[in-house]
Amino acid sequence: MASGFSDAESSTLTSVLDEIIPPSRDGKLPGAGELGLVDYIADAVEKSPDLKPAILEGLSTLQDLSGGRSSDGFSALSKNEKAELLKELATTSPAFLPGLTYQTYLGYYQHPRVLEGLGIPGRPPHPKGYELEVGDLGLLDPVRARPKRYREC
Amino acid sequence: MPDEVVDVLIVGSGAAGAALAWSLADTRMKIVCLEQGDWMDPAKYPTTAMDWQLRGFGDMGLSPNGRGRPEDYPINDSESPIHVSNFNAVGGSTILYAAHFPRFHPADFKVRTLDGIADDWPIDYRLLEPYYDENARMMGVAGLEGDPAYPPKKPTLPPVPLGKLGETLGRGFNKLGWHWWPSDSAIATREYEGRAPCINLGPCITGCAQGAKASTDVTYWPVAVRRGVELWTRCRVREITVDENGMADGVLYYDAEGVERKQKAEVVVVACNGVGTPRLLLNSVSSHFPDGIANRSGLVGKNLMFHPYAMVMGLFDEPLEGYKGPTGCCIMSQEFYETDPSRGFLRGYTMETLRGMAPLSTALWGMSSGQLSSGEGHHESYQQLWDRTAGMVVICEDLPEECNQVTLDPELEDGNGIPSPRIDYRLSENSKKMLEHCVARGKEVLEAAGARKTYAEAPLGVAGWHLMGTARMGTDPQKSVVNEWGRCHDVKNLFIIDGSIFVTAAGVNPTNTIQALSLYIADKIKQNLANLFD
Repeated sequence: MASGFSDAESSTLTSVLDEIIPPSRDGKLPGAGELGLVDYIADAVEKSPDLKPAILEGLSTLQDLSGGRSSDGFSALSKNEKAELLKELATTSPAFLPGLTYQTYLGYYQHPRVLEGLGIPGRPPHPKGYELEVGDLGLLDPVRARPKRYREC
Repeated sequence: MPDEVVDVLIVGSGAAGAALAWSLADTRMKIVCLEQGDWMDPAKYPTTAMDWQLRGFGDMGLSPNGRGRPEDYPINDSESPIHVSNFNAVGGSTILYAAHFPRFHPADFKVRTLDGIADDWPIDYRLLEPYYDENARMMGVAGLEGDPAYPPKKPTLPPVPLGKLGETLGRGFNKLGWHWWPSDSAIATREYEGRAPCINLGPCITGCAQGAKASTDVTYWPVAVRRGVELWTRCRVREITVDENGMADGVLYYDAEGVERKQKAEVVVVACNGVGTPRLLLNSVSSHFPDGIANRSGLVGKNLMFHPYAMVMGLFDEPLEGYKGPTGCCIMSQEFYETDPSRGFLRGYTMETLRGMAPLSTALWGMSSGQLSSGEGHHESYQQLWDRTAGMVVICEDLPEECNQVTLDPELEDGNGIPSPRIDYRLSENSKKMLEHCVARGKEVLEAAGARKTYAEAPLGVAGWHLMGTARMGTDPQKSVVNEWGRCHDVKNLFIIDGSIFVTAAGVNPTNTIQALSLYIADKIKQNLANLFD
């Protein structure tokens, strides 16, 4: 449990992450589960006293609910079964999914593979920066043609 | 130097303090600046690491109340719809500003005469013009000559790139026949005075790792220090002290170890911004000044002006490459800047277009606005938003009102036990009408540019970037705190040089004017050295 979650919790969480952000149909963008965001979520949970009980309780509830359907847990369930359980969880543990979804977005949309999938370099902006066209300053011709717009005083 | 009396002691190393220190260095006087923050290391700015998108919400965020940096002081702004944004380091809030660098208009100094409200400044545009020019040389201002919204001025550098986003919005303004122009920006668009050129990193407002943005730690300060000015960091001033005649004789401050120290000075200059300056003055109580130093008028802390901001965003069909380029600097419009009473309000505003959102901001905005779904359909809904946003912030002129004020909070303190400021501020009816008008006009121009959907937030709560008016300038000691060259009416060796001394706020970002004023005041000090205290 290097992440701070037990193996069972990690497995369930990975599977839930893929439900929040599944892989894109064109294959350009990975699912959140396969990006290894469990460590990121674990770190966020440790830093947030408000989030921690909601996530731990939600995972526990999800494992209990899954156990009634499959001995292999949440990750072994069908797509529909997972959706049903997450819907149920939204009622029994209302803080779980919003908190987890927020943290998932934070981790996912900073990941180099995701940036590349969106068509931008998977690196920090500095030191390479980006090219940007100066643009057509001739568009200002109608503005130049207008009279001055300030009051003399 | 516990017993040495320095000639000039400056409190605060931001936009104003840096410019004044540089200018006064000519005199070879002993000049010391005390700064509660430290030098920033640009190699550690967010854009150098993969978490660059998130750190703007954390240790490099706008609010001193949320950053968790020990050099910050907390501010109670719970009684204000606009929350203070600042930064405490060498360079002050220029570390985080967007570097939008417009000048005031000539009419901004004559508000009472022209529009019958507020007050005129005791100085005018023509007087400040050479200082604007000097400041442009020192900071390096990118822009384009010929803007019909301004008297002639020559930018020092080529304008920031329009990019596809700027062109798209420019066409929208043209369709309506409205004014627009590339923004004056304190950004080195080519190598300038040892600063590397802008490489379009994006988030200028979390510090510029390239050094292209003109924060004063990379412009004025290196030169001032080479000329002999001493800049002491991690020194937090508690109060200005006075001698038996009621003249300022120095300050009490806490050093980096928290040890209280006294520094004596012949002249004290306060440059702590429109909130930090009244806080320091009000904390400086003595038998001569029981209500705070230089406060016989009772106006220290009064007339606080923010700029009420609106944010108007549009969603476009085509990618706009909006993640590239200086966040806050692209093009601006002053179509609605000068007063037109038929609009239902006096004074006016500037539209300042923004670049688009980074990937994470896109997701968070999509989540909060209910446009981004999770689960199946997530990517499809995200692609509707990603790189399709463009918009603007609209900066409305605020007017001075005594009820909008900075006082000392009875309970809140900083890490050294110094009472913190409390803000009481409400929007005026004039501001509300102006905000309503600018949101409608903002949506109109975005739709003209091709936006299929528009969004607005007004007032923008996080936008307390501009802090002005709390130690106003004037010739009448009953109605102002400092005279027409920044000297306190009540204490003739105490000067104030930041946005506190603004009489009115104009409808543009204030940094350029703060620095022009600072250079002007420095010149007045130099010209009057022989009889400075008369």
